[in-house]
Amino acid sequence: MSARMARLGPVGRSVALVVASILLVSAVLTLSGFSVLTVANGMWQGAVSAPGAWQMSFRWGAPLFLVAIGVAIALRAGFFNIGGLGQFYVGATAALFVGLGLPGLPAIVVLPLACLAAMAAGALFAFIPGWLRVRYGTDEVITTLMSNFIGTLWLQYVTAVLLKDPSGTGQQTATRPVEEAYRIANVQGVSPVTVGILVAAAILVWLLLERTPFGITSAIAGRNPVMARWQGLRLERVGLLAFLLSGALAGLAGAIEVFGPQGRLVSGFSPQLGFTAVLVAIVGGLNVGGIVLAAAFFGGLQAALLYLPIVTPLPPSALDLLRGTIALLITVTSLSALGRALGRRRARSD
Amino acid sequence: MEQLIATTLRTSAPIALVALGGVIAWRAGIFHLGLEGLMVIGAFFAVAGTVATGEVLIGLLAAIVACLIASALFWVVIVPMRANAIIAGLGLSIIGVGATSYLLPVLYGKRGILEVDQGLWRPITGVQAGIAGALSELSVMVWLIPAFVLVVWVLVRRTSWGLRLAAVGEHPFAARSAGVDPARMRLVALLACGVLCALGGAALSLGSIVAFRENMTEGRGYIAFTAVIFGGGGPIGAAVASLFFGFAEAVGIQTQLVARDLPVPSQFILMLPYILTIVAVFISGLAAGGRSRLPGAFGELRDG
Repeated sequence: MSARMARLGPVGRSVALVVASILLVSAVLTLSGFSVLTVANGMWQGAVSAPGAWQMSFRWGAPLFLVAIGVAIALRAGFFNIGGLGQFYVGATAALFVGLGLPGLPAIVVLPLACLAAMAAGALFAFIPGWLRVRYGTDEVITTLMSNFIGTLWLQYVTAVLLKDPSGTGQQTATRPVEEAYRIANVQGVSPVTVGILVAAAILVWLLLERTPFGITSAIAGRNPVMARWQGLRLERVGLLAFLLSGALAGLAGAIEVFGPQGRLVSGFSPQLGFTAVLVAIVGGLNVGGIVLAAAFFGGLQAALLYLPIVTPLPPSALDLLRGTIALLITVTSLSALGRALGRRRARSD
Repeated sequence: MEQLIATTLRTSAPIALVALGGVIAWRAGIFHLGLEGLMVIGAFFAVAGTVATGEVLIGLLAAIVACLIASALFWVVIVPMRANAIIAGLGLSIIGVGATSYLLPVLYGKRGILEVDQGLWRPITGVQAGIAGALSELSVMVWLIPAFVLVVWVLVRRTSWGLRLAAVGEHPFAARSAGVDPARMRLVALLACGVLCALGGAALSLGSIVAFRENMTEGRGYIAFTAVIFGGGGPIGAAVASLFFGFAEAVGIQTQLVARDLPVPSQFILMLPYILTIVAVFISGLAAGGRSRLPGAFGELRDG
């Protein structure tokens, strides 16, 4: 079985495991009395065909894409940055500080400054775990996981205390909105500026990974650090750079969120983004092209979810079932070992 | 003051139980980010079982069975099928939160909350005033925490099983050479962890609030995972760390209830445990000679 999985290649493997997850969740939906066809039809409408649907897919896919290519850069270099959410939040608040702090200046000045500030803040937030990892060997999974909580509390502080919108009455605390002139997209999130930023990021990261010494070095370092060290590669610098880029991309996603669809910051928005982005990076096979497709898929699911109540009473948590099942299965590498384990058991009981 | 103590004990108990489970998984070399999912599954089935039968004990049993099944599935995915334990663990957590939120409307036609008319036994009753009055809100699970800590401590530090468990976590190849089956040890460790997560979840949903709310764990499983690391991978450390997290949460609750006259915004106080965890992991890494002494960084379980 594992030989068969290997023959599928990385793309086929990803697709096969996602399809298997969809089938599993479909079985659960059928057992609990929902028509899978109705749900699938509703999903297609909500993600693609209904008016404004593909724009919503783009709106949710865009931040996923940016955070996920950051995760992929780090993972290719052998580091597991699961702190995307914290870096995204810190980047978003930095962008908001610039957006609210420089009133009256033209958008052409404020927006690039805000994006740079967001990227710098995200990079700085990723620098701490990155530096601890490459310099002192401190486990980055734990430190980046912790940094998510810190980033979430920081966003809470900014929305509830520092820049709280005094007129806000809702249950969620939110900051004052940025000026209408600074907005790069409406609620739907699609505009020449946002598309341009995403395309530029995709091309630059692709060039970086496939056509520069950094890309080659980090790939070697990620696959076999011992050999890379023997060859005289400077792993500390490569690793640190990977962390910085990873954080900067998550920060940029935060800036787009502030000046794009949101126009302000709400406490605890998009709480699933960080983990979903890790999933997107892995489903996408750590390739820019694959991640584009995976981000579109998961963005589409998110958009469809908001549309589904119109066609079916399916609880929104069904999406978590699918997301979770994909996460559970996507890194499965060996079915033959399972067969062997079962076989051994059978042999023993004979 | 009495209220702060009582709230600290009440909020730290579920975290401590799950963290004790996490300790067992940790010592088997498993980076268990699925604790959140197991905890919420435990919380749900404890309430569901109690609603179905009117017996709290059956509820506890239902929670344990559900968590055992989920833990066994997790084992199948990460050990024989060799999935990455970190990503599969996150998956288990997302499934746990998703599945329980999904079952709420599907089974009960309810959105958001499932109430139950009885909870865990509360040993202190009939007192209103003073410290005893504050402590009367604590369920039996809180009072049993020291016993659980002791049992897990004896298990991992004073039995040959604990020694084999540590061998599997630290050097599976050597363990195998010594005739220990790492795969089987990990299964037993994950099942034991599942039982403790079930109790932790039940302590949350039948302990004080006596209801299941959608996503009611709110990241407490991840906090328990943090407590395992903060506590250095041992049961006593994990329990003390859980107490600390419970205290931070209690301070947060108290400041929201009373008035906001803290010199520092509450968010910064709440950040403290996470910053301290980073510092603790950093120092323990330094103490191990600059090399991380944690299980394999990519969380893959190699049998050598």
